[in-house]
Amino acid sequence: MKLPSPTRVLLYIVLILIAFLIVLPFWAGITTSLKTSIDVIYTIPVEPPPSPTFGPWMDALEVMGRPLLNSLTFTIFATIFSCIIGSINGYALSKIRFKGSDIVFMFFSLGIFIPYQTVLIPLVLTMSKLGLYNTLGALVLAHTAYGIPICTLIFRNFYKEIPDSLVMAAKTDGAGTWKIYRSILLPLSAAAFVVAGVLQFTSIWDDFLFGLILARGSEALPASVALANLRGTTTANWNVQMAGALWFALPVVIVYLVLGKYLIKGYMAGAVKG
Amino acid sequence: MLKEGMIALLILLPSIALVGYFVYASIGWNVIVSLTDWNTLKPSYNIIGFSHYAEILQDSTFWISFQNNLLLILLFVPSSILLGLFLAILLDNKVKGEGVFRTIYLLPFSLSFVITASLWAWMYDPSVGVINTLLQGIGLGFLKSGWVTDSGIAMYCIILALVWQFSGYTMLIFLAGIRSIPESQVMAAEVDGAHGFGLYRRVIIPQLKSSTLATFVILMVFALKAFDFIYILTFGGPGYSTFVLPLDMFRETFTMNHFAYGAAIATVLFVVVMAIVVPYLYTSSRRREA
Repeated sequence: MKLPSPTRVLLYIVLILIAFLIVLPFWAGITTSLKTSIDVIYTIPVEPPPSPTFGPWMDALEVMGRPLLNSLTFTIFATIFSCIIGSINGYALSKIRFKGSDIVFMFFSLGIFIPYQTVLIPLVLTMSKLGLYNTLGALVLAHTAYGIPICTLIFRNFYKEIPDSLVMAAKTDGAGTWKIYRSILLPLSAAAFVVAGVLQFTSIWDDFLFGLILARGSEALPASVALANLRGTTTANWNVQMAGALWFALPVVIVYLVLGKYLIKGYMAGAVKG
Repeated sequence: MLKEGMIALLILLPSIALVGYFVYASIGWNVIVSLTDWNTLKPSYNIIGFSHYAEILQDSTFWISFQNNLLLILLFVPSSILLGLFLAILLDNKVKGEGVFRTIYLLPFSLSFVITASLWAWMYDPSVGVINTLLQGIGLGFLKSGWVTDSGIAMYCIILALVWQFSGYTMLIFLAGIRSIPESQVMAAEVDGAHGFGLYRRVIIPQLKSSTLATFVILMVFALKAFDFIYILTFGGPGYSTFVLPLDMFRETFTMNHFAYGAAIATVLFVVVMAIVVPYLYTSSRRREA
């Protein structure tokens, strides 16, 4: 499928041009975050800062520090819980034959697509009844519950690729349901845990809606909502706002650059349903 | 055999309970709320029937929102798909540094809408923002605009930014689709004289049907659910020009305390989304069995 040479030059020009357009907002954000408030007004945003300063980053951290820790806490817990639950469900749905397993799978799958607006009012009422409203617990519970469908899907599809003969052999050796999971499937699950884990980590970290309705203006404020508030209160201070956005982006960018291969698999799992 | 099935169900029971409660029971609860007169801070549960749904039909904000969701479906969805397909085809030409390009193109999709909306707020800022100062700098000052502060084009600005964020994702799906076509088929077509973009048009693109369908469904559902990005960039403004259904629902419910009315909007949104998702899940599960 090699194109002739002038076309190839054009190909690279187009690829680089598009890459440039994709990067532009990030570049403008980074340069702005390193400028003093005066330079923000008197320089063009894409210009490198004439006198670079980390001041805006420090100012943003003052507002975002606690929320960033909050986000890290509930994201880690909800990621771990939803992955463990997804793994166990995936096992039950792929390696144990029983009537209705397709129905249970469909029951979970539909949960991936629901517009969360439809459950917001019940969610707030439920969390209030449980005494979790405005706590990290509410966010852990909500993200775990709504993470179960996609995690179950990822692990089920992963375990389907593992030959049934392995399970059969263990069964004839007298291994029970739990033993088969512990000693055969779980040791083979590392890749699936990374895929589901990375997907859950980034999507829970990125979430705004649940944070907005469950922990707005509280000790449990997530970084996404804190960043939105920063935008609401300091519209003029673009440098602090950009620094805040970049603080919030940092963990996901690191995950993306180090484990991007697995994140891509997670995205595909949501798209090409098996 | 029966015993094993019981064990499986026992294993699944906690999740069935959680998903059953937080997804299915909550949807039902939301529908019930929509049938009550609960429109103040004080919860009141007198069932009054479908009058909120009748109100919706008369509500101009609802219809503006609905139109904007439609605009997203008609413009954002096909644009993202075409650009993604274009990028996938470009990258399928044994490009040097394909990984680098892919990483750059997909980066916006991995980030929170709160981040991308903040970045685009800076891009579109009319006074000192990126686009206007750049246009001024290269002598195209006459193209300067109010962007998201201009109600005539604000929605298109949002669409452009969302295409920017989603094209990497559609590229990813198409690239995987292209790569899954057996090499032998491509070679046979090349022997028959197909090459370059003719090869794509005649052989490769027709085989991307299932990738295209999946992408369409996922992006359409997103176009209906879009909330975070618009909430942060414009909060529906200027005026009501960028209102969408999820935002309308949020405002009615959480800023105006019209809980029952907000629930009714959410129910309508749910029905529209399910009208897209259920047939898709049904056909794709049937295709899997076939």
